[in-house]
Amino acid sequence: MKKILAILLAGMMTATVFAGCGGGGNTESGGSGSDTQSSSDDGGAEVKDANLVDVSVFGDEDNISLKVWAPDKAVSLVKEQIEAFKAAYPEKTFTKIEVVAQGEGDAGTQLMNDASTAADVFSFASDQLNKLVDAKVIAPVAFAKAVTDMNSEACVTAGTLQDTLYAYPETNDNGYYLVYDKTVVSDEQAGKLEDVLAACKEAGKKFIFNCGNGFYGCTFAFTAGVKIDGLEEDGVTQKFTDYDEAEAVKTLQAFSKLMHEYKGTFTSLDNAQVASGFSTGTLGAGVDGSWNTNADQDALKDNFGAAKLPTINVDGTDKQLISLFGYKYIGVNAASQFPAAAQVLAYYLAGETCQQQRAEKLGWGPSNKNVQGMDVVTKSAVQQAIKQQSENACVQVNIAPTFWDPMGNLGNKLVADDTDPDDAAYFSKLLKDTVANVRDEG
Amino acid sequence: MIKSYKFRRRIANFFIYLLLAILGIIWVSPFVYLVMHSFRAESMTTVPYLIPHEWTFDNYIKLFTSAGSSSINFPRWFINTFVVAIFSCIISTISVLAVSYTFSRLRFGARKKLMNVAMILGMFPGFMTMIAIYYLLKAMGLNQNLIALVICYSSGAGLGFQISKGFFDTIPRALDEAATIDGATRNQIFWKIILPMSKPIVVYTVLTSFIGPWCDFILAKIIMGDKRELYTVAIGLQSMVSAEFINEYYKQFLAGSVMVAIPITTLFLIMQRYYVEGVTAGGVKG
Repeated sequence: MKKILAILLAGMMTATVFAGCGGGGNTESGGSGSDTQSSSDDGGAEVKDANLVDVSVFGDEDNISLKVWAPDKAVSLVKEQIEAFKAAYPEKTFTKIEVVAQGEGDAGTQLMNDASTAADVFSFASDQLNKLVDAKVIAPVAFAKAVTDMNSEACVTAGTLQDTLYAYPETNDNGYYLVYDKTVVSDEQAGKLEDVLAACKEAGKKFIFNCGNGFYGCTFAFTAGVKIDGLEEDGVTQKFTDYDEAEAVKTLQAFSKLMHEYKGTFTSLDNAQVASGFSTGTLGAGVDGSWNTNADQDALKDNFGAAKLPTINVDGTDKQLISLFGYKYIGVNAASQFPAAAQVLAYYLAGETCQQQRAEKLGWGPSNKNVQGMDVVTKSAVQQAIKQQSENACVQVNIAPTFWDPMGNLGNKLVADDTDPDDAAYFSKLLKDTVANVRDEG
Repeated sequence: MIKSYKFRRRIANFFIYLLLAILGIIWVSPFVYLVMHSFRAESMTTVPYLIPHEWTFDNYIKLFTSAGSSSINFPRWFINTFVVAIFSCIISTISVLAVSYTFSRLRFGARKKLMNVAMILGMFPGFMTMIAIYYLLKAMGLNQNLIALVICYSSGAGLGFQISKGFFDTIPRALDEAATIDGATRNQIFWKIILPMSKPIVVYTVLTSFIGPWCDFILAKIIMGDKRELYTVAIGLQSMVSAEFINEYYKQFLAGSVMVAIPITTLFLIMQRYYVEGVTAGGVKG
């Protein structure tokens, strides 16, 4: 018996040793393709216009073969765009430019698994930028000045780490906003959370806000004035702006009071339920992400309404709900075999023409300032709602991994049945705990 | 007195069966939900009620016909998995049985030690060496390739010899000796004497090694990366419920999950007959 135990223990110990190695090996492999830096420097003269660069940027790269990752819905459009790209550089031979479907949320992980088989040019969501830069798998933008000038400032700032722009802004729409059934909630009512809830209750329908998910739940903290402000110098601890605690507690109480007042109407459900609720007619309004817009629109048809998040009344003043807002970028793989060509292609795909095409055909909100002024954006209710919400938001970049769970917990506690909205001391403690847990001090 | 004993037994049985029934319902409910909602017509994603309002075959039809319009290609994934499962099933069944026979019947120097080594190696979880396996396969130019999956699923199979070795040990050695006297070689004994008597364990080995590829997720995901046309059903189904696709593919995902159960269930039903036959007939005859 003792012998078996000894063998077992030894086996387990060896296993943990190996497990440690596995983890270490992984991060190392992420960093392996690191030193290849883009050959072309940032020079204004190389950039011809908002889409193309001078052909000299390619250097001696020819017979170019590249792989591009785009989300499934965009694949056919990106293929067309690549044909146009090839035609725009007739001097060069492109052996093969392959477009492979790869979701933006997963692109960073896939790239870090093995950069050498990953795409040369890839779309990804802004929250992965830190990871990619740390692992040195993403090459800095070669035409930083031109890209900075063309795109909205917030996108560029969020894509810049240690004074280097690491990715080409692709969209300015990765956030959530208010969607509503126009037969239940009128456009005027959509401005105030109280009115939205009252209208839903009157019609006997529900309102969905995914409180328990930190991505949405952080809205309560942000609106209360507890906003994020990058990371501390250690690179892992979340920094918060200074906030007025009394004011913050009052705001949280106001949220909780509303949730309890409209119990049965205000529900904290998963976002998949929003489109589903609209189609079964049980839902009056909800907070949903821009990526679900098509599904919501399909469910409501002509009655689809969209607006920025509403305000909430705290002690007589209407406070705008502050959300978390991200961007999508196009990055260049630092291990690319054709670094210059990859940069040129990324510049093209993030350029004005391509952004306009995506706005028109896919409904993606552009980051390019010129495209933002075009009819496709200014005349679309959804695009306007997204754009207005982006002005009332914290940017989803530099977020500690410990951020999400405490924020989801905060949302859950606000909506919980046994929470007493009048107990100020409880909310004060809840807020302190949330901040401490996010900062991992709890 | 007897009456009351009977009565008490009935009461006890009633509660026992009630408990079992409740447990059974709990256990089977996810499957019932899965099957029912794979036939649901209304709504794209989840719904807050249990029984669908409208029924349709559309989800299954779409699952097999809409391939190519996006990177979701279930028929292709199904065939991939089926092919991988068949090859790894053949290879691993043969290797498991051969290893078991060797350890059960042959006597050689390092027999005990090898068995212990195999035992210890078997204790490590398979995904521990995943990264190393990936880079080895890549060095051989086999990453993003179905052959790589067959190799992964079948090459370590021999380590799982314990159960079938245990079974072979119960077959009397007198049979081997009789065959040897008649001039049979070790190889002939294995194929002509031992195997025909070991149907239950052969069936068991076939089943377990066939199911493996249908269920494995992590290794297949690492090896295939972004090569969607070579995905197996496990990764494919997971990608259908990723944030990007869930709104459109949720019901097809349910239909796909039901489809995956079909080959495994069929194989089990066919094999079960032999399995029972094998067990009841027993191995020990003159």
